[in-house]
Amino acid sequence: MLIRLPVASLVLLLSMGGVIATASAAEEAVKESPQPPAQHRHGRGPKMLEMGIPDGSTVTVWQPDLVIRKVDAQHGHVVIPKSGMDNYHAVVAEKDSGKVKQAVIRYEYQRGKPSGHSTTELTAVQKTDFEIVPDPVPREHRDYQSGETWSFILRFQGDPVANIPVSLKTVHGNIVSGTSDKSGQVALHIPDDFPNVQEGERDERSAAFDVTAEYETAGITYRTRLNSEYRVNPAHWKSLMLGMLVAGFGMVAGGFIGRAGLTKKKVRS
Amino acid sequence: MNPLTNLSVIRKLVQVGTFLLFVYGGSMGGYYLADKFSIALPALSCAYDSQSADLCVLIPFQHQMHHRLGMAIAGGGNLLMGLMPTLITLGLFVLLFAILNKAFCGWVCPLGTFQEFMHLLGQKLGLQRHESLDQSMVKRYRPVKWLILVFLVFVVPLLAGIGLLGDDFGDSYCRICPSRILTSLATGDSTQLFVDTANNTTLVLSLIGVFLFGLMTTLALTVRQPFCRICPLLALHAVFRKLGLLRLVKNATPRCDRCGLCTKACPMDIKAIHTEMEKKDLTTEDCTLCGRCVEFCPDKDVLQLKYAMLPVFSADPQYFKKRKKAQKDWEASNLTTLSKKRDASTDVKPG
Repeated sequence: MLIRLPVASLVLLLSMGGVIATASAAEEAVKESPQPPAQHRHGRGPKMLEMGIPDGSTVTVWQPDLVIRKVDAQHGHVVIPKSGMDNYHAVVAEKDSGKVKQAVIRYEYQRGKPSGHSTTELTAVQKTDFEIVPDPVPREHRDYQSGETWSFILRFQGDPVANIPVSLKTVHGNIVSGTSDKSGQVALHIPDDFPNVQEGERDERSAAFDVTAEYETAGITYRTRLNSEYRVNPAHWKSLMLGMLVAGFGMVAGGFIGRAGLTKKKVRS
Repeated sequence: MNPLTNLSVIRKLVQVGTFLLFVYGGSMGGYYLADKFSIALPALSCAYDSQSADLCVLIPFQHQMHHRLGMAIAGGGNLLMGLMPTLITLGLFVLLFAILNKAFCGWVCPLGTFQEFMHLLGQKLGLQRHESLDQSMVKRYRPVKWLILVFLVFVVPLLAGIGLLGDDFGDSYCRICPSRILTSLATGDSTQLFVDTANNTTLVLSLIGVFLFGLMTTLALTVRQPFCRICPLLALHAVFRKLGLLRLVKNATPRCDRCGLCTKACPMDIKAIHTEMEKKDLTTEDCTLCGRCVEFCPDKDVLQLKYAMLPVFSADPQYFKKRKKAQKDWEASNLTTLSKKRDASTDVKPG
């Protein structure tokens, strides 16, 4: 009768034993794997970003509550000061050279107390004349990942702009192009281009990509760039096929247990 | 029987509504954490479902054990500050929980709804179903939900935060939860149906997760609510059930001794509904407040669902008769009986 214990419970308990036994192996794996920069490890302090900001730009940080703070950029880098608020912040760099206006934007998550503001408030507001807005920004605990397709919206002074060529270029040199549709939207596929990815092994590397577009009106050229980070797609070590296979085994086991019977009392429909 | 006076039908409608709300509701502007309803929902609505309208309370608990309390202990920080987010989440959970009590399981939980509909499918397919499980077996699996709650939701993530276990244990319950796979699949996202080969920990946890999902899916065809019986949320609900406004109440009579229909109707096989003759409040640790026992109680007002001490649904002989007939009619129509009828009609030769 013991064998007829609910299999789900038994499997769980037995497997927990296995899980605990492999704890030290897991720790070793964690030690060996590349660590993200210290500022990303649940840090709540200032964060330094490499955005390739043009010299002479005016840089502002937009908090989730839309409070704007001016910051300094040096050699293309910018340090976001601690805001104490949890959620995405937008770093906006603008440079006005008369006939050419450039903008670089990056959405960066910072930890702190719950802001009580949705990221949609930050994306909806106009931050510069011509901007590329993620639609949506990867939500909390998610990232852009290689091999994924994401949408972006092109806006000029708050309104969507159609038929604008857009390109996404990764730090590994790959370029993907698209054109904005009538609602200003464009979907771009992030290349799965991290070198030396070992299938079946976790890879926590990240790299930068830029989405760029140009728009001319009234004799002024607006150049905008959305800078972000993307990570190796976990599909390299998380197997859907194996998942389907094991779930299939589970289904067979469930059917077998249900058929074999957990009790003599049954209802014949 | 008018279906709209049938409590089970009403409950199914509510379940479908809450399933749609919590699995897909986030698609209407609720993509980000700040847009979610509470982030402490007393039901298995999953964060891995990008369209979910809210998150199950077990997710923040694990994160807080791992990233806040565990790290505060490891780093010699302020323990009260480390514990504060957990207390806030718990407070929010209790506020919500008080409204519906354990009915969050029987009326709201997407995973519970899925299992009930799988069981209906099993019934319509004419599969041989289990009316109830042996009480000895019920007693044996009953502690499992407590073990999962204590260890996988609190202790193991805490040990990961302290540094005694790897970071992959930080959300150990989520890694085996069938709701993570179900709700993401329901939105067309197959990325949660995986075996993670990154290391031994992720391999074992993901194997358990997908196997459990498959097991639960087909087992639910023949056994009522298989995963609910070991669900850690059921255990968490049990801790706070005295604070809930909705209760199952029994006014026992001597006739109760000879009946037992209530336990047979109970999807969780709770024997106490039948045998308990002293206590009035029968919202036991496994009860999901589905109300089936009240529906199938033939004696007036012996079993009642009460909200803030006011009866909202009571056992009634007239209702019982209609409900029993409706159940019989419902169970009589399935694939097996349909094919038998067809065979019988083709056997009749003209003439």
